[in-house]
Amino acid sequence: MAYVAARGGENAIIESEQLFHDLNGPLTAEKVRVIMETVPYLLDRVMGEASLYAPELAALAIAQSGGELYEAALLLRAYRTTQPRLEYAAVTEQGEMLTVRRISAAFKDIPGGQVLGPTLDYSHRVLNLGVLTGEGAVRHEATPAPEAAQPTYPALADWQRKVGLLPEVTPDTRTGHSVPDLTREPLLFPPARAHELQGLARADTGGLLTLGYSIMRGYGLIHPTVNEVRLGYAEVNLTHPATGVAFSAGRVRVSQAEIVTEFAGDSKTPELALGFCATLGWNEVKVIAGGTLDMNMQKAADHGEKHPAHTPEFVLYHTETVEASGFCIHFKLPHYVTFQSALDAMRQVRGNPQGVNLPGSEVPA
Amino acid sequence: MTATPSTPTLKDLAHQWQDHSYAFLDESSKRELRRTMLKAVALPGYQVPYASREVPIARGWGTGGLQATLSLIGPKDTLKVIDQGADDSVNAANLRRFVSRMTGVATTTDATAATLIQSRHRVPEEILGERQVLVLQVPDPEPLRSVEPDISIARQMHADADYGLMWLKLYEQLVRYGRIVQGASYPSLVHGRYVISPSPIPRWDVPKLHQARHLTILSAGREKRLYAVPPYTDVRPLEFDDIPYAVEDQSGHTCFRTGVTQKFMNELPQDDGSALFELSDAGYGEKILNAAEGDGPAPERTYFNDEGRFYHDGYLK
Repeated sequence: MAYVAARGGENAIIESEQLFHDLNGPLTAEKVRVIMETVPYLLDRVMGEASLYAPELAALAIAQSGGELYEAALLLRAYRTTQPRLEYAAVTEQGEMLTVRRISAAFKDIPGGQVLGPTLDYSHRVLNLGVLTGEGAVRHEATPAPEAAQPTYPALADWQRKVGLLPEVTPDTRTGHSVPDLTREPLLFPPARAHELQGLARADTGGLLTLGYSIMRGYGLIHPTVNEVRLGYAEVNLTHPATGVAFSAGRVRVSQAEIVTEFAGDSKTPELALGFCATLGWNEVKVIAGGTLDMNMQKAADHGEKHPAHTPEFVLYHTETVEASGFCIHFKLPHYVTFQSALDAMRQVRGNPQGVNLPGSEVPA
Repeated sequence: MTATPSTPTLKDLAHQWQDHSYAFLDESSKRELRRTMLKAVALPGYQVPYASREVPIARGWGTGGLQATLSLIGPKDTLKVIDQGADDSVNAANLRRFVSRMTGVATTTDATAATLIQSRHRVPEEILGERQVLVLQVPDPEPLRSVEPDISIARQMHADADYGLMWLKLYEQLVRYGRIVQGASYPSLVHGRYVISPSPIPRWDVPKLHQARHLTILSAGREKRLYAVPPYTDVRPLEFDDIPYAVEDQSGHTCFRTGVTQKFMNELPQDDGSALFELSDAGYGEKILNAAEGDGPAPERTYFNDEGRFYHDGYLK
């Protein structure tokens, strides 16, 4: 029989994929709908890392991958990359965002007020075991405030700029095509500011947390203070390509954090400095860690001694969720050619190139 | 067929809906890739950054090679995909299945019959020709990574042709082990200018890139860098005047399937403590066996002959 290549492998991979799906149960529209309605924070995390806001597709990706989140993010990104760019949304300012939660750790009270909004921060982390027996099934309903909260809030940083604590900034007026786009251009170093913020926005949540926490715990140049954390809905404002009429195509959940540090600027007139991170979806851990990293990366630019978590190259490359997870699992691929090559070099050094006890080898003393 | 004249609708005018573009990538992405490749050919060995799209394959699994292949491929191409020399390796099978599903091109296991070869970690044993393109998957495009992990500094070193640290690394190996112990990914100077990582091909395969008739594209999807060894270009593994570059020793190994010697072999450990050897280049092995049964073309000339002599006389000392 002729030695036939390219047979066994193909059947094996097709069947292994079938087995994976088989064990996860049928993939149905109902399953996707349940995921979409029940785990919004999970959708947010996947959509943020995929940089594609599409709750239904995110739910499908989670269902299709059996909840393997790195696979889900890759599914969404691979879909996203094939989609055409039809339009570019207008810039949304903080002050225009429909805000449901905004808190500052820097001041007891801030212009517009502290808004707790939806959070588990003060929950007692006790499993509601009663749910399992049907006794504890509860429908949580928040009590409406006597007066509706205001929909928008000013940025605290604006107040700080007004009183001279923060330096004035020149707004970046670039829009649409002229905004650098990390998904269409190579990442070069030092990175464009837009590339850096985009990189943080689509980074792996766990990765940003790990590097951010290393800074918070002991390797930081700054002590991070949360100037403002905000959860809200941003309008996707477009201009109709034919009529020129502005309209909103919908709202996306976004979160953002500003991290503030003292004693920036020169030693005579020290001032505050801001680190920033924003992402699609509500993900407070990610934006606080990301904002802290941003602050350190900016500070490190004019600082001699650097920790890896202070350098954009280290942070952006190693928190790239799809690249990091893909490379990690690639080590499952066969490497026997490279291994054989190293083995040859090792045996040459050991003085028996053919290997101990192998045909052609010397019997070892 | 009825000949009722009517105004064509938008649906009639539009081409038939497809759920993906030909070769998956959109045309502008392919154009970017091809421009990147042209630049890489114009600057042999220089790592050209590119955006690197996400493709439906995990990063680190050949996405760079895949993007190059998808940008180059056309309906008339014949594709071969190998991993570690084998056509039936699961990832090679998967990549071949994907490209062929997205393009409908013919596939082959015969290295000399393919117009486009995507490979991980191997260059075929038969001499490739002028009408062939070899796309190598690259995990790490930066040969200086082991001596300088910071990419910005490494780029500066390439610009200055500052390869002192690389030479030093090889020299330190020599001092410590009495010989250079670099395995695969042997740093090599292209066209006398840029040092490249030839991707993790064994040392056996590096000389095959020197003054090759075919074009080699090396593409790293995760690291977003692409570089090329154009046809008829010098590729010299870094070697000291008195310490010649050495390929893996294949003497004494005989392929147990084909009886072939002096090719790169896989070592197969056996229960009794011995080992069998088989050709790593599975397509070549298949060709030999088929030809012996009178079922297929005879194998063509190989880079290394049966005595293990390389086809460019005097290249290997």
